[in-house]
Amino acid sequence: MPRSSTWEKVEPADWRSTIEELREKGFIFFDFLTGVDQENVDGNNACEVVAHLATKDLSNSHFVTTQVLDELPSITDLIPAAQWYERECTEMFGVKFIGGSAKPLLRHENLGRPPLRKSTVLAARVLTPWPGAAEPEIKEDGRKVGNASRRRQRPPGVPDNWLQT
Amino acid sequence: MKHSFIALIEDKCTSCMLCVRECPAWCIHLDSHTVDVTEEGARRPRKVNVLDSFEIDYSLCMYCGVCIDVCPFDALAWDEHRALVTNNREDMLLGIEELGPSGSS
Repeated sequence: MPRSSTWEKVEPADWRSTIEELREKGFIFFDFLTGVDQENVDGNNACEVVAHLATKDLSNSHFVTTQVLDELPSITDLIPAAQWYERECTEMFGVKFIGGSAKPLLRHENLGRPPLRKSTVLAARVLTPWPGAAEPEIKEDGRKVGNASRRRQRPPGVPDNWLQT
Repeated sequence: MKHSFIALIEDKCTSCMLCVRECPAWCIHLDSHTVDVTEEGARRPRKVNVLDSFEIDYSLCMYCGVCIDVCPFDALAWDEHRALVTNNREDMLLGIEELGPSGSS
């Protein structure tokens, strides 16, 4: 681990210039770039993009983050190794990188919503009976066997209106 | 301690359902009922949950240990022994008896 790590939050417009400045300052080791879903943070459906750079001897490292609504300029011309991470971020979080490649790494193209966004409902979770629906007096399939009165629990990550009742 | 198995200490389980609901793989199934227990000196009978069945489907379990972390009564614990390697999916579904901690049987 680097001896000191710093974090910085920048505007999407300053994304490229910040990375460029960091490289000039000696942060030439590009570690990774990834997305963090920010649904329900600040009331919009943004995704945070995080890039981690370090100095060559790893003594200092710097995290740059930015809030992205849908697109961000690519940094692959500054750091060619970032392409893999940008493609992954596009595939999994739906963040478009202008000037970068959008070729998916694992999934077929146009396979629907990016799977790592919280707003993407996992269809299998809707179709599979949730074991957590059971209570001491309610069976997994919803049958009541006693005088249970508690409100029925909902499976996590499945919108209420997706469930058949 | 090897993280190769999740054992159930049956006596400590109160059928609170926390592990079942927190499990990201949805691999725990629990069935229970309540009985009224009258204690001497108590004004009214107390409702007590009784565990009927507890199953971990080891074909789905990813050994993340979330169930062990959330259990407020330490009824689940890492254990040394392993779920059997098998060709039969049914054999991966372990109930109360098979889930006992090693050394208990």
